[in-house]
Amino acid sequence: MELINLSDIYKIYNVGGEEVRALDGVNLKINNNEYLAIMGPSGSGKSTMMNMIGCLDTPTSGLYLFEGEEVHIMDDGQLASIRNRKIGFVFQTFNLLPKATALHNVEIPLVYANIKKDKRIEMAHKALENVGLGDRMHHKPNELSGGQRQRVAIARALVNNPSIILADEPTGNLDSKSGHEIMGILDELHAQGNTIILVTHEDDIAKHAKRTIRLFDGKITEDIKDK
Amino acid sequence: MLSLFFENFKISLSAVFANKLRSVLTALGIVIGVLSVTLMGTLISGLDRSFESSMSWLGKDILYVSRYEWFSDMEWWEVRNRPRIRPEYVEMIRKRSQYALAVCPVMQRGASLTYEDKETRTEIFGTNEDYMETISTDIQEGRFFTASEDRSGSRVTIIGHGLKEAFFEDESPIGKYIKIDNVKFRIIGVLEKQGKFLGFFSVDKQAVLPLGAFKRIFSKRGWMRLSVKLQQDKINEGLDEIFGIMRQIRRLKPSEKNDFAINQTKAFESQYNTLKFAIGGTGFFITLLSLIVGGIGIMNIMFVTVKERTREIGVRKAIGATNGMILSQFLMEAVIICLIAGLVGLFFAYVSSLFINKVFPSTLPLGLSIFSIMMSMVVGIVSGFIPAYKASKLDPIDSLRYE
Repeated sequence: MELINLSDIYKIYNVGGEEVRALDGVNLKINNNEYLAIMGPSGSGKSTMMNMIGCLDTPTSGLYLFEGEEVHIMDDGQLASIRNRKIGFVFQTFNLLPKATALHNVEIPLVYANIKKDKRIEMAHKALENVGLGDRMHHKPNELSGGQRQRVAIARALVNNPSIILADEPTGNLDSKSGHEIMGILDELHAQGNTIILVTHEDDIAKHAKRTIRLFDGKITEDIKDK
Repeated sequence: MLSLFFENFKISLSAVFANKLRSVLTALGIVIGVLSVTLMGTLISGLDRSFESSMSWLGKDILYVSRYEWFSDMEWWEVRNRPRIRPEYVEMIRKRSQYALAVCPVMQRGASLTYEDKETRTEIFGTNEDYMETISTDIQEGRFFTASEDRSGSRVTIIGHGLKEAFFEDESPIGKYIKIDNVKFRIIGVLEKQGKFLGFFSVDKQAVLPLGAFKRIFSKRGWMRLSVKLQQDKINEGLDEIFGIMRQIRRLKPSEKNDFAINQTKAFESQYNTLKFAIGGTGFFITLLSLIVGGIGIMNIMFVTVKERTREIGVRKAIGATNGMILSQFLMEAVIICLIAGLVGLFFAYVSSLFINKVFPSTLPLGLSIFSIMMSMVVGIVSGFIPAYKASKLDPIDSLRYE
C-alpha cells in the first residue's frame, strides 16, 4: 500500500538574495512497511527531505500525499495534527525533556492527542516495555545512558502507533555498542510491520535498510531497492 | 483539553520552582500591587466602620444650629461678625416648628474637675432637659436633670462613663459631690460608655450641667449651639423649616445671606468621602503602577524563558503540539507566576490587616481579595501573551536546531 507520494517537490530558499534549491524536483514513493535509508553528503538536501517527509515543512511547489492526505496545502495546525498521529520522530540528540521522567516523556504525544490519563499511562508503559526500559520508567534523562535515552525517544516515537518512524542519525551520538542496540530495535520494529525511514550518512547504518536513496544537490541520484 | 490543561499546569509549576529566585524577583511587582490594593481596601473598610459608628451617635435626624459651618472655607472675620446664637431661640423654635421633636441649647467649655485628691481637665456642657433626646447615649445609672432643676439653677451634673471610672472606679457616684472649677456639683447620673469619636477623641469624660447653673457660674457670654431633633421621616422638610424660622428670628430680608449655619452629619460624610477618595486614589495609583512594573517584569522573564526553551518548543511541535497548545503552555506559566505572587501578596496583606486591626477595627474584605487575585491573573495573561505568542509562532525546524 502506498504511504507517501512526493511528486515534483521543490524547496527553494532565498539566502542573501541567492536562490538555493534544497530540493530540486524530487519524486519519491514509499510503501507500507518499507525500511528506507536516505543518504547524502551534507548540503545534499537530506535534512530538508526529512523535514518534508516529517511534515515539519511544506514544499515551495509540488505535491505531497501522506496516506492520501494532501500535506502540501496544510496549515500549521493540520501539520501538527498529522505529525502527532502519523509520524514518530527519533532525533540524533534524543531531544527528551530534561525535567520529565522517561514515562512522562513518552506520554507527551498522547497529551497532545488528547488521550485520557489512565489510557496514556498504559500506552506509555507498553511502549517503554517494548524498547526494554520497563524498569527505568521513573528515571529522568540525566539518570539514563545515551542508549537508554535513545530508547526512550523511540518509545516516544512509537507510542501513538504512527504510520512511519522517522529517525535522523539515530546513532550519531552513541557509542558503537549502543548504536548497534538501537539499530537492532529499529530492525525489530520493521519486522513487526512498521515503516521506518532513516536519515544517515553512515553506510553501516544504511545497510540495515532494505532500500537506499542517495541525494545530491537536492536531487535523487540513486534509488536501490531490495538489497 | 483537560489533560492538556493539567499538563500545562504541571509544566508551569515545575518551571516556576526550577527558577525560584528568578520567579521571586519577577513576581515582586505583582506582590506589591496586590498588597497595596488589599491594604487600601482594609484601611477604607476600617475607616468606614468607625465612621459609621461615630456617625450613629451624632444622629442623622439632628440639626446643629450655630454661628459657623463645620467644614467651610469662609474667612474667620466673616464668621466672627455673625450674631450669637441666643438661648431665647430655643423657645421660639419650639413654638414655631412643627417638625422639631426636641430643641436644646448647648454651651461648652474646658474645666478642671476634682474629686477628693483626683483631678482631671475635661469639657463641660451646659444644656437643657431635652439633651438626652439629641444624643444617642443613654443614662446608665441615676437620672437626667429636670426642667425645674434647670430653671432654678441647681448644681447637679451627669458625668460620662470615663469620668466615673477615673474618679469612683466601681463605687456608685450618685449623690456624691465633685468640684467643677472649684464649684461643688452633686452627681445625679452617669452616661453609658460611648467610645472614641472617629477614633480620635473621647467624650466619655464629659460632664453635663443644667444651662442655668452653667451660665450663672461659668460664662454668660460663651458661644452656644442648638441641637434640633427632627421627625425621622421629615428631615428635609424640617431643615427647610428651621432655616425659615432662623431667618425670621434674625429678621433677614430675602436678599440677605444667612448669618447662621445649620450643620448636619452629612457635612461629615462629604468630608469623609473626600478623605476616602484620597486614600483610595493613592492606593489605586500605587497599585496600577506596581502592576504595570510587575507586568513588564513578567513579560521580560517570559521572553527569557521562551528563548531558553526554544529547543523544547521545537520538540513539542515535532511530536504534535499545535501553536495554540504552545501558546497556552506559556500563557499558563505567566498566569501561574502571577497567581502565586497574588496569593503571596494576599497573605502579607492578611498579616498586615491583623496589625492594622489593633489600631482600629478593620478586616480584609473578601470581595477585594478575590478581585485582587483575578487582577493579578489578568496581568499574567496580558503580559504573558506576547512572549507566548512568539513561542507559538516559532518554526519547529529552527527551534529543533537551536543550541
